[in-house]
Amino acid sequence: MSGAAGSLPLASGIGFAQSPKAVPVDELPALAGELTLYLGRGEGGLYENVLAAIEERNPDFTLNIRRGPTAALANAIVAEAEAGVRRADVFWAVDSGAIGLINAAGLARDLPGDLTNQLQPGFRYSRWAPVTGRIRTLPFNTEQLSAARIPADIMSLPESGLKIGWAPAYASFQSFVTAMRLLEGDRATADWLRGVNETATAYAGELGVVMGVERGEAQVGFANHYYTLRLKSGMPDARVAMAYTNNDAGCLVNASGILALAEGELAINFIRYLLTREVQSYLANEAFEIPLAAGVAPPPGLPPLDSIAPPEIDLILLADLRPTLDLMREVGVL
Amino acid sequence: MALQKLKFDRLIPALGLAALLAAGNAAANGPIGDHVNDLQAHLLEYGDEVVWLIEQIDGIVDSYESGGLAAANPEAVVEHWEAVLFHAAIETSYVPVYASIWQGLFGVRQAIEAEATVADVRVQQAMLEQSLWQALGAVKMAAQFQQRGLTATIEVTEATTPTETLEEIKQRLDRVVAKYAERLPEEATGIVFDTYLTRFEGVEGMLIEQDAELVVDLEVDFNVTLPQAMESGASLDHVRGVVQAMQGKLDRAKSLLEEAEQDRASVF
Repeated sequence: MSGAAGSLPLASGIGFAQSPKAVPVDELPALAGELTLYLGRGEGGLYENVLAAIEERNPDFTLNIRRGPTAALANAIVAEAEAGVRRADVFWAVDSGAIGLINAAGLARDLPGDLTNQLQPGFRYSRWAPVTGRIRTLPFNTEQLSAARIPADIMSLPESGLKIGWAPAYASFQSFVTAMRLLEGDRATADWLRGVNETATAYAGELGVVMGVERGEAQVGFANHYYTLRLKSGMPDARVAMAYTNNDAGCLVNASGILALAEGELAINFIRYLLTREVQSYLANEAFEIPLAAGVAPPPGLPPLDSIAPPEIDLILLADLRPTLDLMREVGVL
Repeated sequence: MALQKLKFDRLIPALGLAALLAAGNAAANGPIGDHVNDLQAHLLEYGDEVVWLIEQIDGIVDSYESGGLAAANPEAVVEHWEAVLFHAAIETSYVPVYASIWQGLFGVRQAIEAEATVADVRVQQAMLEQSLWQALGAVKMAAQFQQRGLTATIEVTEATTPTETLEEIKQRLDRVVAKYAERLPEEATGIVFDTYLTRFEGVEGMLIEQDAELVVDLEVDFNVTLPQAMESGASLDHVRGVVQAMQGKLDRAKSLLEEAEQDRASVF
């Protein structure tokens, strides 16, 4: 199977069809009061810029922020609940997997339907709101390959004969393998990992993968979309482009997400600010993330989103990395 | 990670505890907040956290004993430590025992990852527990000094911007040199990789938009040059030289990102 990039059929899984538009910030109520946000460490200072702008726009609103690794904060929220205390009112996680831990503990509050309906179909959840998304891609060296040479089926890649670059210790890669386990099963995933591991060049992180592909050390790699977009932004003639597989883990869309732990309108209205047209556009243009509120343009450099066919998967099922790590160790890639 | 700059205007009188509350410019490995300026009010909380940490680590070792490496999730040892407020209290109070805790954390984690005998892992666990209790004692003593007004308020500036994160990375690299000087090369290497994955990775995407070659250089420094220097047993001067060269590149990165931030669009 071949012909991965840019010419994909409409998704049979989740899609990006348009729906109600993102709300302009002028239509939101002013925030008044105090909230404590647990913020998973993530996208440089751009999330911080968003939070500062929300506070600046709402002079009667105070936001206390505790920052840390997303998984550690999720563990802390659960531990605090077990101890009978709640310090966080809202939790913004860079990885939806951590959301699963909180939901499994029954700590997240229901979100109103008018809020969740602002999101793209396929990203509407009752107890958390995806904020922005990222797509798994196959960055490839444009001097050595054309998109047509890359399999559209991720499971076929080990037999493609291509030189592969990967970062198996990287969290996003492990979420991708988790999705593969859920979609294809452990045995097929183990075989796939063994196959790739036979020839792949390993890198510490996925920006390293993209850069390795650009240098020609690998012909194709695995990475979230924004690394390639950022490299192209700084190096417009970089010899790298992105290919997408079709309706499998290779084009998984994962998301950062937010949930409310506190009762009341303030936490809900705070979440509404993150889904505004302005914030979603800012994160798309400055962080190259994919806006998940409807009607907001994707970052420049991504193909039309309705040409991408990500698999249908409940993102919070990606929470349990343990079986994935066990499998990766078992086959010797960690 | 939260904190970046901790400044003491003056050190406490010697009292035979010269290192106590002598953090100077320090960087904690987790969030820090105003609680470090009111240790007394948080002693019960810190105590609960120590108990919780010990229980969590005991659970990890129990899992290792019953199910081996596959069941243990040794990475969680450090994650749990990063999740508690207590780490900031001890780092800002008594750096030597803070270093011992880190040594213990990595001791447990690495013993499990190396699939050492359960008895050997328990030895590491016991050393870690001892350090944690010792640290709680040090924080209690620090709280008394604080109550008596013997310490100045700690100014906390959180690493909320990429340039602050880069400054924090520079401070962490200083710690790498310190750990290497303490003849703890594995711990020093662990700080390098942790710093790369949890700090540098968060800013290099923005940096690559400004100077791709600089990112390539720093990628090689983090993942090859510095770890290999320590693994090969290079002299302390050599390792310090590598770190100083990296810090120079990080200064250049700061300048680039500061310039880029001035041109950035506003959110609303």
